[in-house]
Amino acid sequence: MLAVAGPGGPRIAALNEAAEVLGLAVGDSLADARAKAGFLQVRDDDPAADDAALRRLTLWATRYTPTASQWSETDGADGFFLDVEGASHLFGSEEALLADLAARLKKNFWLEARLAVAATPGAAWALSRFHASRSCVLPSGQEAAALAPLPIAALRLQPETRTTLRRLGFKTVGALLDKPRAPFAARFSAELLRRIDQALGRVDEPLTPIVAPPVYHSLRYLPEPVFTHEAIIAHANRLMRTLTHVLERDDVGARGLRLSLYNIDGAVEAIDIALTLPTRSVEHVARLVALKLEALAASYDAGFGFEAIGLAVTGAEPMPARQTEFTAAAEDGDRTERCAALIDALHQRLGPESVRGFEAVASHLPERAEILVPIAGEAPALPPPETGEQNPRPLLLLPRVEPAEDVMALIPDGPPRRFSWRGVTYEITGAQGPERIGAEWWRHREQKPTRDYYLVEDPVGRRFWLYREGLFGRETAAARWFVHGLFA
Amino acid sequence: MGFPQSDQPHPVAPAAAPSPVSNRAAAMAELRRLLPRLGQDRRHGRRQEPLPFGLPTIDSHLPDDGLARGALHEVVPATEGSIACAFGFIAAILARLARARPLLLIIPRHGLRPYRSHGRLHGHGLDTALGLDPARLILVETAQRKETLWAMEEALRSQAPTAVMAAIDTLDLKSSQRLHLAATDAGLPLFLLRPAPNLDASAAATRWRIGTAQAARDRFGLIARPRWHLQLERCRNGRPGEWVVEYDHVAHRFSLAAALANCSRARGADEDAIAQRRRA
Repeated sequence: MLAVAGPGGPRIAALNEAAEVLGLAVGDSLADARAKAGFLQVRDDDPAADDAALRRLTLWATRYTPTASQWSETDGADGFFLDVEGASHLFGSEEALLADLAARLKKNFWLEARLAVAATPGAAWALSRFHASRSCVLPSGQEAAALAPLPIAALRLQPETRTTLRRLGFKTVGALLDKPRAPFAARFSAELLRRIDQALGRVDEPLTPIVAPPVYHSLRYLPEPVFTHEAIIAHANRLMRTLTHVLERDDVGARGLRLSLYNIDGAVEAIDIALTLPTRSVEHVARLVALKLEALAASYDAGFGFEAIGLAVTGAEPMPARQTEFTAAAEDGDRTERCAALIDALHQRLGPESVRGFEAVASHLPERAEILVPIAGEAPALPPPETGEQNPRPLLLLPRVEPAEDVMALIPDGPPRRFSWRGVTYEITGAQGPERIGAEWWRHREQKPTRDYYLVEDPVGRRFWLYREGLFGRETAAARWFVHGLFA
Repeated sequence: MGFPQSDQPHPVAPAAAPSPVSNRAAAMAELRRLLPRLGQDRRHGRRQEPLPFGLPTIDSHLPDDGLARGALHEVVPATEGSIACAFGFIAAILARLARARPLLLIIPRHGLRPYRSHGRLHGHGLDTALGLDPARLILVETAQRKETLWAMEEALRSQAPTAVMAAIDTLDLKSSQRLHLAATDAGLPLFLLRPAPNLDASAAATRWRIGTAQAARDRFGLIARPRWHLQLERCRNGRPGEWVVEYDHVAHRFSLAAALANCSRARGADEDAIAQRRRA
């Protein structure tokens, strides 16, 4: 059993069937329980671990339907909803689905689950908790009749509401349903009537899916578990081929894909693949899956093998059919597509942060004048080049400015004639400048001195970008020199 | 993996009828006519347009009067101080290429410590000094040598970029053969920046050693065009050579700085000219 600290010492938070048989109940103090039952195995209650375990279980259950929702605290946090509409026919019937679910829960997790199918989440929740049999299927429209004999607790109410109702003499849901609504609305918070309406299907109760439900989804149960990359790729290939037909029918292409690998031991590996351009190409997807698996090779574990593989389209975008004629436009499109395919492949193997492009920033300071942004979406557009006289900028910019030592200049604010950098002294035969770059005064916290940049060249032809920090007389008494870049 | 072996036989030239080749010049012309067949694109069977420098002096040293398009070209800075020049030389060649497709730059984060200590590529510098629009570039960073090699091959095989440029610290002969084949198959040039020491034998079509040279100045003494000291160290089916070239970033044009390869004398001549003008 699990114990949790409470008033007057530890109390029982959860217990197994053997303990129940001995007459123990949730909420009893541990000392009383020990007195009653003698030897007890007690562990501390760990809600975080419970939550994580339930989440794993819910993820596992996405094999039945993409919309699986973990029960929140108000639902008791000990189960999950599955939206099986449109999924149950895959198993023959809802009963067969429940049987399969029960068998797998027992086999994989040693869980004796209580299962119920109903038209509303509220009714299903009530039946799974309070129905006599372990699994039941309620035909649509019979919610009121089925709920009537169940206790008030079947309505998922707050404990205070429950206590008040019990004091007023309401023991079953049926007793509530018979009475007029107005007094309840006046006496209780909105919760009570909302719960009743939700259970009977008068009000919609949206489920919060544990993973965003995909637009298109395809899943394959494997007769034998698979381990190898090749097998996974082959199955992904087949799944994509199935999806392609649907995508083609709807004139869309996939922008995001998720490959879910259902391990025999119940864990689920999800591999997300983002695409630069919408695609329906089976080969392209198979290649990206292969690259991703290769990149993940160190971190993922096939364990006992995967018994089911699902491929879901998490994002779809319209993809106009392209004419495959030999025209300039077609060739252009082909080129963009090839470029997108290359960027996708690089993303999968190296990570999206590793593929970047230059983006100019409105700043006078050279180190701020541009940033590298990850290339996503379209291949980079090619704007026409700017023409006009520009100030020289170095080809290589040092990661951080480095002080130039022993700088000699003929006059204090003139160009330098000699300097040392990284232990080497350079004579300067030609200097060009200064180009004055002021600090960005509109940035408040920054009070940097003005810089005078010089392009200097040594006798061998090495070209440097030096600057003197501070204006003589006004900002500084002894200017310092820095090397900032190298010219080609 | 799916590559043909490098020792695949070259397409055999059709046995020409024994023509009465009388003199040496005619024989050479005949041989030259047959030579390009060796460099034919294997897959498409059509000839690749080379990348000429636009300078007959240099182009005559290269087979086919220009840099082969589908080939591996190595660029080596002569000293640590000329890394920027080597970068600039490659950027200048890239700037001359067609603008239709992007250019791929692969920059490793592993090894090459002296290179990385010289700073990172500055987009505005590419634009103002070399006329290469930074928006054309896709920068790819790699963490391991394996990834660098993979990215190069992947980029070439996809045929998406116009050209691929990369830096790498060490490269064995086998990898270089593989890259050269990938470049040949794709018909795309691959420029590889390599550090000066520990240069192994490689399958590259050309190897350039780039040194610094005093820049060309305009009549006000301002730096007008960068100059580089080029040394064509190795060239398959060509002849090595040594030149000082300058590059005009507006016209995207190379020109010969001076007939003399000795840059100090070239500089002297330049300074004399400036002094004369001042006196005048």
